[in-house]
Amino acid sequence: MKKFLTKIAIYTFFILLIGNGIAYLSLYVLGKSQLYKNQFVKNGVKETHFDYVVLGSSTGLTTLDTKLIDKILNTSGLNISMDDTSLSSHYLMLQYFLSLGKSIDQLILCVTPSDLQNPVNELNNNDYRFLTEVQDTLIYNYYNRMEHGGLKVLTYSKFMPILGVSYYNNELFYPSMYAFLKPTKRNRFDDKGNYTYPQIENRIEKGIVTNIETSYLNPSFLKIKKLCKQKAIDLIVYQSPIHRKNVVFPNTDQFKIINHSRILPEDLFFDNIHVNSKGRTFCTLAFCKELSK
Amino acid sequence: MLFNSIEFLLFLPTVFFLYWFVFKNQLRAQNVLLLVASYIFYGWWDWRFLSLIIASTFLDYFIAIQLGKTSISKKRKLLLGISLVGNLGMLGFFKYYNFFVASWIEAWSSVGITMEASTLNIILPVGISFYTFQTLSYTIDVYRKEMKPTKSFIDFAAFVTFFPQLVAGPIERASHLLPQFYKNRTFEYQNAVDGVKLIIWGMFKKVVVADNCAFFVNKIFESPETYSSGELFVGMVFFAFQIYGDFSGYSDIAIGLSKLFGFDLMVNFKFPYFSRDIAEFWRRWHISLSTWFRDYIYIPLGGSKGSQWFQIRNVMIIFLVSGFWHGANWTYVVWGLFHALMFLPLLLFNINRSHLITKSYGWLDFAKIGVTFLVVCIGWVFFRADSITDAFQYLAHMLELKNLGLTLFYKTNANLMIFGLSVLAVGILSMQELVWVIKKRELPKISAFGALLLVLLIFFMGSFKNQMDFIYFQF
Repeated sequence: MKKFLTKIAIYTFFILLIGNGIAYLSLYVLGKSQLYKNQFVKNGVKETHFDYVVLGSSTGLTTLDTKLIDKILNTSGLNISMDDTSLSSHYLMLQYFLSLGKSIDQLILCVTPSDLQNPVNELNNNDYRFLTEVQDTLIYNYYNRMEHGGLKVLTYSKFMPILGVSYYNNELFYPSMYAFLKPTKRNRFDDKGNYTYPQIENRIEKGIVTNIETSYLNPSFLKIKKLCKQKAIDLIVYQSPIHRKNVVFPNTDQFKIINHSRILPEDLFFDNIHVNSKGRTFCTLAFCKELSK
Repeated sequence: MLFNSIEFLLFLPTVFFLYWFVFKNQLRAQNVLLLVASYIFYGWWDWRFLSLIIASTFLDYFIAIQLGKTSISKKRKLLLGISLVGNLGMLGFFKYYNFFVASWIEAWSSVGITMEASTLNIILPVGISFYTFQTLSYTIDVYRKEMKPTKSFIDFAAFVTFFPQLVAGPIERASHLLPQFYKNRTFEYQNAVDGVKLIIWGMFKKVVVADNCAFFVNKIFESPETYSSGELFVGMVFFAFQIYGDFSGYSDIAIGLSKLFGFDLMVNFKFPYFSRDIAEFWRRWHISLSTWFRDYIYIPLGGSKGSQWFQIRNVMIIFLVSGFWHGANWTYVVWGLFHALMFLPLLLFNINRSHLITKSYGWLDFAKIGVTFLVVCIGWVFFRADSITDAFQYLAHMLELKNLGLTLFYKTNANLMIFGLSVLAVGILSMQELVWVIKKRELPKISAFGALLLVLLIFFMGSFKNQMDFIYFQF
């Protein structure tokens, strides 16, 4: 029995040693790349000041073209949106962005009505992308707060990187190999952080428009608002087009709201909540017009 | 409790420690511990399931005692009948009640008669088919006077609920497993090491092979009409590896776990995809079930003795019952029928025993392996599809050969990555098993370095995010 337990202990030690070594290397390589948005803003963005950043989920990533805005308004902007995320991740991204020593004058926060009124924040599907920065207290605390259940794989990755890297092996381990070969490769966004959906014939059904009322119940939204106030950042809430929906925001004079929920013609949608490349140009032009009012 | 869960990671060392350190050399205490641990393990799904397994245990324990006391044939038959009705009644009610009601209504509606009957909201207890067959084997063996009834309720209950193999087999015979509860068990180093290696190999098959393949299998079988012939073909092959990795992986883990506690379980799979015909496939696939059917149904029916029609009838019965054992759906029955039809020509031409496992492989055999694998794969389409119509449509669409494109597998980076992993995992599994088959091994043999490498592969190739339940739990 003693021999058995000793061998099990030795092998477990070696497996953890080698596994954690590989996982650490994987995170290190990924952390030096520009593959995901957080690595991009750290390693691929040299400027320290921007007139504005666009922050949101996939709608933020694909609706406003910062290159076109900059061309029209003669500004300097960046898109730091990440798909498949919500306001809790947006708040984390904003904090992370500012912690890198960067500053902005305006924050264009792309919201969705359901997220804005959701009082409960949960871990988002793409939050693992911050795992390369798990040693950073900001990220570690976020994971610790958001992860629930028996084994918090992201949180405990601070001490055992194999946990997060093996759980998200398709999303972290294999991409890190790719990032090792092509450190400047970006995962579906351009050098200003934008992405666009292609021009395809959409299968959206026509129908009557209904109203969606929203409210500002999301605690992360309130934190973003507070952070903006602290850092003297002008907050603009942006609502991208939603098919057959008219989003109704409660009146407020604390921030500007640009509501594009109903401006887009049917053929410029990619799907019910995303615009295609022509739709992006359409929205961006309308956005510039409203911003310069 | 799942083998690949965090709870089990805490459960196993705790039971192991208590078993070998606290209750060392105390046979009765060890058996009580195994019983309590098994109840916890099983009740983790739903504590209500325990009532059924306890009822089944009591029933067969007392019936066997009574069988041991009497030699009156009529009374013995009656006692056996009570056990069969009790066990199969519970199985039938929980597993097949809704199916029979729905089929009954459907049958009448096909001749224009509308019937009203309500189905019940019944939860299928995990592994009910497995432990029912295990307890039945005990009663039947006692009835046949092939073994004596046990007087110890604890030993018997521990045999029925033995957690390593409780929910998905191997379906142990009482004559093989029960006596192991009577004997003092000492810790054997080599046995435990072999057990750990088997657990690792089983985990690899489940987490790396089966769960990666499942990613595409679930997509493709959900709406086969939207995929090309090429994608459907890959989906079918991937399901063959998913179900094999899933089920044989569970068996390997079960056998490995049992070794850790000083028990020896029967081998359930002998590299079945290296079979040279369907008969050989059934000597290599789910051996504990096929031998159960052989010993308790096929042979009592007359087996391969008697006229050809008699033999055909027996084969048909055995395969249809086997199909139906898997689940309350006609797809399983058709799967059984398909295998019966593939098996019958071998039986009729008396070549069903021309490829015994011990026989060496020649070059031509690899062509036979390919053909047998394809036949098995076609059968799996019936097994996996939601309905018989779906299965036929799947096969028809696949055999149209109109579009052989494999777009699905490289449509997104994630798909390409998982496809690559699945192919690699299937490749590693097949190559490794080929080596063992050529060396005529019955069980995997893994070196210490190989085991270490496998653990790392599990970590970095395993599908943890898209983790699936073991398929055979539903049976």
